[in-house]
Amino acid sequence: MRIEIPPDVSVDGHLVDGVLGYLTWATGILFLVAVGVLVVSLVRDRARPGRATGAYTHGDRRRDQLLTLAVGLIMFFAVDAVLAARAHRALSDRFWRYPDGDPRALRVEVTARQWSWTFRTAGPDGRFATPDDVVTLGELHVPVGRPIFLKLRSKDVVHSLYLPNFRTKLDAIPGSTTRMWIEATTPGTYEIGCAQHCGTSHYKMRGLLVVEPEESYRAWLERAETDSRLRYDAAHPAAAEGWDWEHGS
Amino acid sequence: MTAPPAAIEAHQGEGEDAIHPAPTRFLRRYVFSTDHKVIGRQFLFLGLVFLAVGGVMAMLIRWQLARPGVPVPILGRVLYGRSGGVISPVAYTALFTMHGTIMIFFAVTPILIGGFGNFLVPLLIGARDMAFPRLNMISFWTMAASTSVLTASFFVPLGTANAGWTAYATLSTTIGTPGVGQTMWVVAIYLNGSASVMGAVNYITTVIRLRAPGMTYMRMPITVWGFFLTSVLNALFVPVLAAGMVLLFFDRVFGTQFFIAGSTIRGGGDPILYQHLFWLFGHPEVYILILPAWGVVTDLLAFFARKPAFGYRVTVGALIAIVVLSSVVYGHHMFTTGMSPLLGESFMVLTMIISVPTALLFLNWLGTLWRGAMRLTTPMLFCVGLVFTFGIGGLTGLFLADIVADMYLHDTYFVVGHFHLIMAAALLLSSFAAVYFWFPKMFGRMMSERLGKLHFWPTFVALNLVFIGQLLLGYAGMQRRLYDPSVYDFLRPLLPLNRFISDTAYLLGAAQLVFVVNFFWSLFRGKPAEPNPWQVGTLEWTVPSPPPHHNFDRLPTVVRGPHELGSPEARARGKDWLAQDEIVEIVESAEESR
Amino acid sequence: MIARADRRQVDGLVGLAIFLGATTMLFAGLLLAYAVLRAQAIAWPPPGTPPFPTAAAGAVGLLLVGASVALRAARPGVALACGAAFLAGQIGLWRHLVAAHLGPGAGPLGDVFFALTGFHALHVAAGLVVLVAARARRPRLATIYWDFVLAVWLVIYVAVCLT
Repeated sequence: MRIEIPPDVSVDGHLVDGVLGYLTWATGILFLVAVGVLVVSLVRDRARPGRATGAYTHGDRRRDQLLTLAVGLIMFFAVDAVLAARAHRALSDRFWRYPDGDPRALRVEVTARQWSWTFRTAGPDGRFATPDDVVTLGELHVPVGRPIFLKLRSKDVVHSLYLPNFRTKLDAIPGSTTRMWIEATTPGTYEIGCAQHCGTSHYKMRGLLVVEPEESYRAWLERAETDSRLRYDAAHPAAAEGWDWEHGS
Repeated sequence: MTAPPAAIEAHQGEGEDAIHPAPTRFLRRYVFSTDHKVIGRQFLFLGLVFLAVGGVMAMLIRWQLARPGVPVPILGRVLYGRSGGVISPVAYTALFTMHGTIMIFFAVTPILIGGFGNFLVPLLIGARDMAFPRLNMISFWTMAASTSVLTASFFVPLGTANAGWTAYATLSTTIGTPGVGQTMWVVAIYLNGSASVMGAVNYITTVIRLRAPGMTYMRMPITVWGFFLTSVLNALFVPVLAAGMVLLFFDRVFGTQFFIAGSTIRGGGDPILYQHLFWLFGHPEVYILILPAWGVVTDLLAFFARKPAFGYRVTVGALIAIVVLSSVVYGHHMFTTGMSPLLGESFMVLTMIISVPTALLFLNWLGTLWRGAMRLTTPMLFCVGLVFTFGIGGLTGLFLADIVADMYLHDTYFVVGHFHLIMAAALLLSSFAAVYFWFPKMFGRMMSERLGKLHFWPTFVALNLVFIGQLLLGYAGMQRRLYDPSVYDFLRPLLPLNRFISDTAYLLGAAQLVFVVNFFWSLFRGKPAEPNPWQVGTLEWTVPSPPPHHNFDRLPTVVRGPHELGSPEARARGKDWLAQDEIVEIVESAEESR
Repeated sequence: MIARADRRQVDGLVGLAIFLGATTMLFAGLLLAYAVLRAQAIAWPPPGTPPFPTAAAGAVGLLLVGASVALRAARPGVALACGAAFLAGQIGLWRHLVAAHLGPGAGPLGDVFFALTGFHALHVAAGLVVLVAARARRPRLATIYWDFVLAVWLVIYVAVCLT
């Protein structure tokens, strides 16, 4: 029976795995100590002939209160405070520091709908909502080693873009725009899932994230752009839909 | 027992002391009763029936996850005949929606709060009944009405609700779920909530006003504290759910747009507003469900370790701290909605802080057991089981409190495992402990200890395996509410684990049959119970089993706390326990003054 | 020893206080929704909203004042009539609003007004039922409840119609 976490191919996934590991150790130790006390008590402190009653104490003496306080403080500082500090650093330095204005970042508009994902990038002119935008259905192509800045919207109900290999997810909410960024370290094809119940075919709302080395990404992009330009039909802008990157964020 | 003896009546005369004769006609006595003991049993039976229904739904969900697309044996032909016995994707969404809804609102709430709360609170504080007996009756029938609406929703053309028990907008509006079934769900939840608020009004007033002389707040059994604090949360936060339901109803029926984003021209609402309203209720709700369980377990551990509960005051303080904090942590359900960093981190820190009073509560349980003289009766086994599973379940909450970990774990089976370890395992174990413990008082007979232990062991082991298994599924990345995980390549290797969890779940379900047999057999053929089979001092054990309509012949005067076991006072009388109202002459002797 | 009647009176007051606390939380939830809708709108009322009949809405509310006054003067019959008249007035106001494109579904202002006043009206109706059912037995509790209903109406009126 294999129980494995999906391989981490992101620059920041190790922060998530680090927290999971720390918590497993910390809570594991706490739990083992607690169970240890419980088991000792269950074995030793049983009613026996000649010992029908327990030690008469209300546990409200000074030393009981100090013990309780001590454990509470240990728990708070060893676990909670450490977690909160680490999380704050990880969030403010990495996850929530968006590549606004980073020229290397690839900007992607993600549209979620029942029950598929579409992705739009700006094309050579660098502007969205122009005929050279590249729109893909179900498959997002990105280059390795560059920040990918994603903004999400939904056309109908709340969905959630889930990238297990990047240890992250973000909701796509109708009427607002949410943002996230990732950066891949390893080329490959990775799965995209939906992580918010969105109706009958929620389970089929799968996509693919194709990470390619810069060279082959450019080659793909050129083909995709040519394709877009050929197929662009001014009378039917919905086929190249997305929404203006700057608006409504 | 209808008319009280004249001598006793002469002592009463004023206030709640007055004894009213018991009703004699069948309808007044068993159906439209205002006796809290009858109403408590009514809630208990209603809850147990729905527990079974919710449990069967869980088995169906597990079947589909273990054997996607395979027809369900026996039940499949009855329920899913049109699809050849296979659960369809739509049916699956209705299943997990209704499983959650039923378990929370129609099983645990009526069993613990409506059932045991009603039966126990007046008895434990030394009162003849609740403060508002007629309101109590109306509360039960309101809950019964809500079950009718919920049941009816299954039979409408477009089917019942299927947006999850959380019913997020806009999936729960007519955009995502047209049809009257979802609307009926909204109405049923509203009615159910009204019943809870009525109960809260009753319980709070009763505890404040009807405690017997000498029953100070610090002498109440922690069970009463549990019901009291649960009622405070019910009174404050169920109405917020009601507000959300009212607005959802308006969106569905009158075309308003509270939760539907509008255009720049029309203006409109916000789906996230629904989440705020829902979780403002939703987080306190989980504490509403567990507080009675914590109360019961704290008392029972003391009773069966034959020593006072460790740190009574700290426990009460911790419970109150948890109640206060529970109102400001709800945002941890919404970490992936793109909240502002300040808001998100505030919720994270507050959620972590709430782990401290919870840990203190847990520590006090260990302190109660330590150096005790444990009697491992069936109720005690279930309590110890709760301590174990709540330990795991509570600690896994820390994983979800941390935003960085939650980005990965949100909406995976890790969450499912976490809340089932607490909601299903801990709550279920405590409910069973309560049943085994108070069955003699409620029905005048003892349940079988042998069958009780036979029920406990497979239940305890299976609960842990199933839900720890789900923690592992979540760690491996499996999302919630998936009809068929094999759509995703990365989830295919998890099929064996899913199978294992499902097979263990069927065993868990089967083990409950032992309980059903024990319960019904004991109801009719159990050994007649003495007034105080467990030899403990709380007030319900000073009256016959079952208690007469008026509870106490003479209202008690309380002189000590609820867990006075093994005290020198008791030993001086040759026993190891003293009732809360038992008066003991003070004997000055060389032994006492040592 | 306090007489039974007095003790029951206090019990009733405690119970009513909890119930009114719960009801306040419900209206607070509805008002929160209003606040969010308003904060997220580019302007309030949103452009294109027809003018709101503030005076008419206020006039209907005066009937609630009448009910509270009547109860204080120990005239439950008059209070009943005022309460019923208030409901009739609200229904009339609602019909007028729907016709003027200010109904539920027509825009956020209509949405908010109908949700708040609709739910408030249910509480007025419930209050009428209780007045009929428990007429003379608990005058003090009835007075407090109707004062509460009036207070809620005032908050709604000020928050939605006057600002």
